[in-house]
Amino acid sequence: MNAIRAIGGILKGMSVTFREMFRPTIVENYPDGAGPYKGARFEPRFRGLHVLQRDESGLEKCVACFLCAAACPSNCIYIEAAENTAERRISGAERYAEVYNIDYNRCIFCGFCVEACPTDAITHGHGFELATFNASNLVYRKEQLLAPMPKEIQSAVQREELRAHAPEMAH
Amino acid sequence: MADVTITIDGNKVTAPAGTLLIEVCKSIGTEVPAFCYYPGLSLQAACRMCLVEIEKMPKMQTACTVPISEGMVVHTTTDKVRQARKSTLEFLLGNHPLDCPVCDAGGECELQDMTFSYGAAESKFMEAKLHRDEQQWSPVVFFDRPRCILCYRCVRVCGEAMDVWALGVQNRGSASIIAPNEGDHLECEECGMCIDICPVGALTSGAYRYKTRPWEMKHVGTTCMHCGDGCKTTLGVRRHETGMQIVRGDNRDKSGINGDFLCIKGRYAFDVTHSDERLTQPLVRHEGRLTPATWEAALELVASTFKRIRDEHGGSAIGVIGSNRTTNEENYLLQKFARVVLGSNNIDHHRTADFPALAAALKNTQVRTAGMRDVFNAKTILLIGNNPTDQHPLLAWQIRNNVRLHKARLFVVNAQDIKLHRQATAFAQVPSGSEAFAAAFLAGNDSVGESVGGDARNALLAMRQALKGAEEAVVIFGSEIRGAQVKAAVNLASALNAKIACLGDYANSRGAADMGLYPDLLPGYAQTSSEIFTGHWGALPEQPGWNIEQMVNAARDGQLRALLCVGSNPVVRYNVDPFVLQKTFLVVNEMFMTETASLATVVLPAACAYEKSGTFTNTMGDLQVVKKAGDLAGTKPDFEIVIEIADRMGFDVRKLVSLGGGTRADMGQSRGAQTGEADRHAVWLEAQNLEPRMTPFDPAAVLDEIQRLVPGYGEASRLNVAAGNDEHTTALEAGQGSATSDPDLVVPSEDTLFTSGTLGRYSNTLHSVIESRRKVPADKKTPV
Repeated sequence: MNAIRAIGGILKGMSVTFREMFRPTIVENYPDGAGPYKGARFEPRFRGLHVLQRDESGLEKCVACFLCAAACPSNCIYIEAAENTAERRISGAERYAEVYNIDYNRCIFCGFCVEACPTDAITHGHGFELATFNASNLVYRKEQLLAPMPKEIQSAVQREELRAHAPEMAH
Repeated sequence: MADVTITIDGNKVTAPAGTLLIEVCKSIGTEVPAFCYYPGLSLQAACRMCLVEIEKMPKMQTACTVPISEGMVVHTTTDKVRQARKSTLEFLLGNHPLDCPVCDAGGECELQDMTFSYGAAESKFMEAKLHRDEQQWSPVVFFDRPRCILCYRCVRVCGEAMDVWALGVQNRGSASIIAPNEGDHLECEECGMCIDICPVGALTSGAYRYKTRPWEMKHVGTTCMHCGDGCKTTLGVRRHETGMQIVRGDNRDKSGINGDFLCIKGRYAFDVTHSDERLTQPLVRHEGRLTPATWEAALELVASTFKRIRDEHGGSAIGVIGSNRTTNEENYLLQKFARVVLGSNNIDHHRTADFPALAAALKNTQVRTAGMRDVFNAKTILLIGNNPTDQHPLLAWQIRNNVRLHKARLFVVNAQDIKLHRQATAFAQVPSGSEAFAAAFLAGNDSVGESVGGDARNALLAMRQALKGAEEAVVIFGSEIRGAQVKAAVNLASALNAKIACLGDYANSRGAADMGLYPDLLPGYAQTSSEIFTGHWGALPEQPGWNIEQMVNAARDGQLRALLCVGSNPVVRYNVDPFVLQKTFLVVNEMFMTETASLATVVLPAACAYEKSGTFTNTMGDLQVVKKAGDLAGTKPDFEIVIEIADRMGFDVRKLVSLGGGTRADMGQSRGAQTGEADRHAVWLEAQNLEPRMTPFDPAAVLDEIQRLVPGYGEASRLNVAAGNDEHTTALEAGQGSATSDPDLVVPSEDTLFTSGTLGRYSNTLHSVIESRRKVPADKKTPV
């Protein structure tokens, strides 16, 4: 009787195990997985490291309106604005952010900056590996936050530059 | 006018008949929104925002143009009014770009505020907005046409209030645009009033453009550091890598003696504070070259050398030249340092007006000095000499607007045909140098009539007739009248029963004079033997010291062994031969490497007036607060430098800055973080007979002493001054003065709107406007 009960218990337990073998796995292969997040996966609305977006022509969306800094409850955003010129166009509007720092020592990932942004320039990405041995590394500069230039635009820009410099090169 | 009673939203209000309805509404706290209405300017009724319902009137009325009359019944909150406002805003926004995130006015835009309060969330307009590129009208004025809502405020302030008429309206109806006088650019006084008054971001400032946003700045109300008028200016300050940086100057809150007026210097010439040429490190001459040194080494060298020279050759071997731009506290401290620590009366400054002579002339008369506010309210103004439009922009503004708004009579006596001639009831052009004779002639002395020439004599004769029986008059004279001649101006003021004012050139020229930067006068124009001061400071050198000229001669003879020169450039101002100072141990506190600084043995980098606290006295004697706005790493205020030198010379600094028996106050532990707690704490300290001052570097302690000892300053309310208001001081009436001081030492700055002495040379903005390079002054151009 005891033996039967013991075997029944094992079968019951193993049935769970065997059943789970045919179900999709929920264990993530972090940090050995593929992709920029090393296998970690996120809900779409996860609020991670900020990304400063570009528009379809590759210009920065941020116009340095300072509304994110004003909305920020932990006062961690620092901006210096500058004016676009005809030769050097950085953003779509008259003004762009020359300096855009987020101090991740202070940031609480509340998302207010994203809500405040009138041009949808600042968004939360899914970057989460922010740990560091040195707190000063946690002040992220604009270059670290910017979305990469789309490939086709990058090559188009390079072609444009080549063409612009071509007469000089000929001399 | 007689009072009438009207009803606004059911409330009975009594006000003088003829008052504008919008003002009456404002006085009882009922807001009637408006764009084009601006107090003090002509009425426009262009924006249609202030529509209200008045019973028995068929249509809605613009509150900004309706004078009230008996029995009016006004409604400002009905649905009809609300709908009218909503429609007006929708209409204004029809072509207004929604670029608030990049617009400089965003956050302090009246259209934004009104849309928020009264506007509709959505627009019915489907049409594409008409875009026009932004135009640059001058280095400091930008115009973004689509943002303009055509309120004409800029046109009116430029024409009526500034009397420049550089802006106008082109085309008609919906095609109307604001246009500058030169077609594509502006040539004007570059005051920036149009930018300031613009309710939206159509006119923007070249200096502040795209730098920051209004809520990002700290706003510090202080006194302008340029001319002698002492406009209050509110500086917008942002943090910066070298300290706090000033990014904007304006006075939108209309506080202070100037209301919202500022000239180009007040509005833009703060850029000297972050000039690349600012000195930020002490320099000591080493093997013939000025080399950077630490503050400790530089101060030690200065103190030990001063001490050695004083002990070996006596205090009279050391001279001190003070500044027209340092605060009253610093000037007071500097002359006290010279007299008490160095034991020398060799102290002087660059004089731009003969205040001691005025003080002497005022003795035993009933004549009082006028304040800047008096000029706006006087019924008669007599201006002798000077060109206020260039040298005293606020004074010119006060005169102009007094004439325009109060119908005051202006009489001008000048060697040149100055711009204020346009406002003058009568104008007399007299030969240069005969201004004092003209004053004497106006006072009734016929014997001097010949000195002014025939035509001028007739004009003055007519003026004398017109001035008879003048009430509430003010006599203002420039530095053309000095020395013994000042008596003539005072006699004239006495004959007219008028107040008097003398025009000095720099921000604290008057303060430097009041605080006794003279070899023969103590603070308050007191004699060097005055018991007021010997009683508090102990024995003082009684013999008058050397003035600047004598100091230079003594340096040539090798008798002046050391010279401390604070914020002054005597080498240029008094045309000193550089070789004369070679044998002298020259210490210069300066912001920049000036001609004088380049000759120095030690150069100490000083903070400017926007980087320290204290008070200024403007040329009319109005005492105002100076607050620290920006700062620059590496510099120290002159106050601190003088204290440090005295300390290192072994002098007990408590005798220089009375700390009320020492550091008795608690260290601030009982201070909390809640709003108002620090103030309550200060009250508590006061009640416990403790003093909140902790360091000898606190200028407030010296202001205490000034108010205690300097006649004419004691009555000024500290509370009022600290709150940012002006207090008229009367040191000129109270002091002895000296009629014998050398009038030739008075060297007027000859500044225009676009120069500001040595300081102005380092302002990029002042150099950038084309008017600064033109020979003919801006006002000589015919109005468009």
